[in-house]
Amino acid sequence: MKKSASSFEWRKITESRLFFPLVALALILLFDLIFIPNFFHITFQQGHLYGSVIDILRNSMPVVALAIGMTLVIATGGVDLSVGAIMAIVSSVAALLMNPFVLGTQLQAIKNNPTYSYSPFWLVILLPLIVATICGLWNGLLVSYGGIQPMVATLILMISGRGIAQLITNSQKIQIFYAPFVYIGNGWLLLPFSCYIVTFLYALGWLITRRTSIGLFIESVGVNVRSSLFSGIDEKKIRLFAYMFCGFCAGIAGLIGTSNISTSDATSMGLNLELDAILAVVIGGTLLGAGGRFSLLASVIGGLVMQSVTTSMYAIGVSANSLLAVKGVVVILLILLYAQQVQDLVRKITGLAKLKEIKP
Amino acid sequence: MQNLTTLFSKNRRLLPLLATIILFFIAYAIGAVYLPGMRDPQVFLNLFNQTPYLLVSVIGETLVVISGGIDLSVGGMVALTTTASAALLRTGSNPFAVMLLMLAMGAAMGAIMGYFITYLKVQPFIATLAGMWIGRGLAYFISNESIVINDRIYILLDRTKILIPGLSNVVTQKGDYVTPSVVIAMFVFAVAIYIAHYTRFGRTIYSIGGNSGANEQSARLMGLPVNRTKVLVYSLNGFCSALAGIFLSIYTRSGQGLLGNGMELTVIAAVVIGGTALTGGQGYVFGALFGVLITILIQTMIQIQGHLITWWTLIMVGAITLFFIGLQAVIANLKIGQGAGTKISRAKRIRQVLVYGGGAVVVIVLAIFAYNVLGIGGTGTVSSACQIKPFRQDQAANLLKAGAVIVYERNGGTNCIDELYGIFADGRITGDNGTQQIEKQVTPGDVETLLTFISSQGWFTDNMYSTSHVPCKVCDTYFTSVTYQGQTKTVEAVDGGTDAPAEYWLITGQFSTILPQFAKTP
Repeated sequence: MKKSASSFEWRKITESRLFFPLVALALILLFDLIFIPNFFHITFQQGHLYGSVIDILRNSMPVVALAIGMTLVIATGGVDLSVGAIMAIVSSVAALLMNPFVLGTQLQAIKNNPTYSYSPFWLVILLPLIVATICGLWNGLLVSYGGIQPMVATLILMISGRGIAQLITNSQKIQIFYAPFVYIGNGWLLLPFSCYIVTFLYALGWLITRRTSIGLFIESVGVNVRSSLFSGIDEKKIRLFAYMFCGFCAGIAGLIGTSNISTSDATSMGLNLELDAILAVVIGGTLLGAGGRFSLLASVIGGLVMQSVTTSMYAIGVSANSLLAVKGVVVILLILLYAQQVQDLVRKITGLAKLKEIKP
Repeated sequence: MQNLTTLFSKNRRLLPLLATIILFFIAYAIGAVYLPGMRDPQVFLNLFNQTPYLLVSVIGETLVVISGGIDLSVGGMVALTTTASAALLRTGSNPFAVMLLMLAMGAAMGAIMGYFITYLKVQPFIATLAGMWIGRGLAYFISNESIVINDRIYILLDRTKILIPGLSNVVTQKGDYVTPSVVIAMFVFAVAIYIAHYTRFGRTIYSIGGNSGANEQSARLMGLPVNRTKVLVYSLNGFCSALAGIFLSIYTRSGQGLLGNGMELTVIAAVVIGGTALTGGQGYVFGALFGVLITILIQTMIQIQGHLITWWTLIMVGAITLFFIGLQAVIANLKIGQGAGTKISRAKRIRQVLVYGGGAVVVIVLAIFAYNVLGIGGTGTVSSACQIKPFRQDQAANLLKAGAVIVYERNGGTNCIDELYGIFADGRITGDNGTQQIEKQVTPGDVETLLTFISSQGWFTDNMYSTSHVPCKVCDTYFTSVTYQGQTKTVEAVDGGTDAPAEYWLITGQFSTILPQFAKTP
């Protein structure tokens, strides 16, 4: 819009990328502060912290992990609808690796045995992540080399992925007792252990996108595919990478989610979570459909916003099912906050003085 | 040969549609050869009887997709419509007034979403996602549980059988039929085709979609009423979703927030299978019918076959969607290739390899599916030598005496099984296939849900009757006894003849979701 942006204003705009998500988060937390007594009350018990805020942190980790991967995909101008289904596949694969006998009759022998796992722990973690990355590779191939519209290409895996997950476990829920795996989603190191995993994932994403040129390339592909191609960027490989990374993140989210409930559940694992993740990214200010500039941190905050809404609504006694309606209304309000008209208004109010300075 | 080439290049856009139609008939023919149950004309008609709600919804979605948008709210709207109308009917409102109100509500919701998308420039994906959540959430807000519809008009619409001349006996009122919903859906279908292809509004829809938004710009520059058309398209789809909700509440005679869960996926897949490009601007409303029919056909084949987990439906729908997307990509390639001469660029070659590779994957999946569904290969010797065993009446009676609310036995089929299940009110399920006994525990709530479902399907009415065909060699025979609210009724059926009521197969399909599975004997 403003072509003559000086370096100072450039920084100003980058700051405003975090500005709107933070405003959204602040609004919701303000709501909590007023309407829910003791919402910010945190206690210290048995070596770790308890409280609603910590709950938000813990429950939002799968969505945040998804949002980190989804940010890159949306920044390239695409979208990945299949992450929820990938989570289900990961859940089935991991559970089957730990307990393949569940399909037979030996279930009783290993029930409640926290030390038993059929496969070594590193394989239980690694193989599902590889499978998830392969799922991402499949999406990426269809989108970048197959030239298929992202929404359609990922729709295929979204539909059939859950069926595949059911096939892997023969449509049974597998309970997980193996202690090291349960620790991923239920362990505590002052904070929930999953927070550290996701922080690590964020650091990884940040390093890849901000300490190498990949992040710049991704933004360039999102802004204009043709001109990036002419500038010598291999847009196909960049997109392929984005989808693979998104698959990997979905793998992490799947492991955390499975460990959280200690059960592999191909039916409901990650169900509709792709929508939450996309919204988290949109709240983070990355443009869905257009791509371009992105901020991983803003998406992470977006994920926290989504979970804060959920937790707050539970806290004021909205039932789990009716919650959807509230969530829909909140989404509309948040999206309106991002509508061009409103943003212009905000800029007008806050930046009026500055504009006058530049004009003459 | 020359003529054929020009014919193809002139009607290239028709190819996906043509492929869909051909695929449908081939799939049906293969099914009819290997699954004798499919040969019954009623099974063919049941494809239609099961579809009205899906068909109407796919028609609306097709128009939205052609205009370059997408609507995820169909499932939520359907849930809201069924629940709202059930709640209103429970208070004794006039059923026709309720239907009109629901249609108006659907159109209004669609118009609101369209307004957000058009004037506030919200992404269609996000706006309709919010619509989906609000719809489903409101449905749960109205009632957390299923509300049964006992309205006379709804029952009449559900029970009425429009007999097909030539395939039925008018005097005994038995034979092949379609439901009134099918007739209404077909009427909507015809109107939609007229709107899309023969009105100014329809042509505007086509001109808006495609070319990633650039066409919309040109349409605007040409002075077409783009904004009005877009709002109208979404409101039309809202109307269609509400109509689908009404059909579904007639079909299930209940309303609850869970209905239509994940429906938007099926609908969008059916749109793609029907030959409409999700990029917009291309497609035929006519394809919607076959997109729906193929989806239902896969479901029916899996139901009739009876041994496969229902999740195969999803995998198959995914694979077929992939096939059609690949086909569209190939056709798009052809179009580009015309001017470029004979030399094929590297990128295009990779693209071709991918498309054909994807095709190969689909073929493999199809083969596995065919192998499983039709039992071609390995089990051939078993199926031909299978002797249908008589029902184990004594054992079933013992189960009933022990307090089982449902006793379910099936035997025969391609794998020559003989399985007897007993489901108890406390959630215990026992299974016995002659050689091994298994047990499974579900919640009493699950059993209660199942019983309510069975009852809502008219188990204790005259509509559910036993059939006594001489079973064919590969057919399953079924024996089901249900006790609910002091009533007990036993119905036997054979899947080869399929003059058993359609609801019977719906019910047995429900059983397979909670029954334990026997370990495969080597």
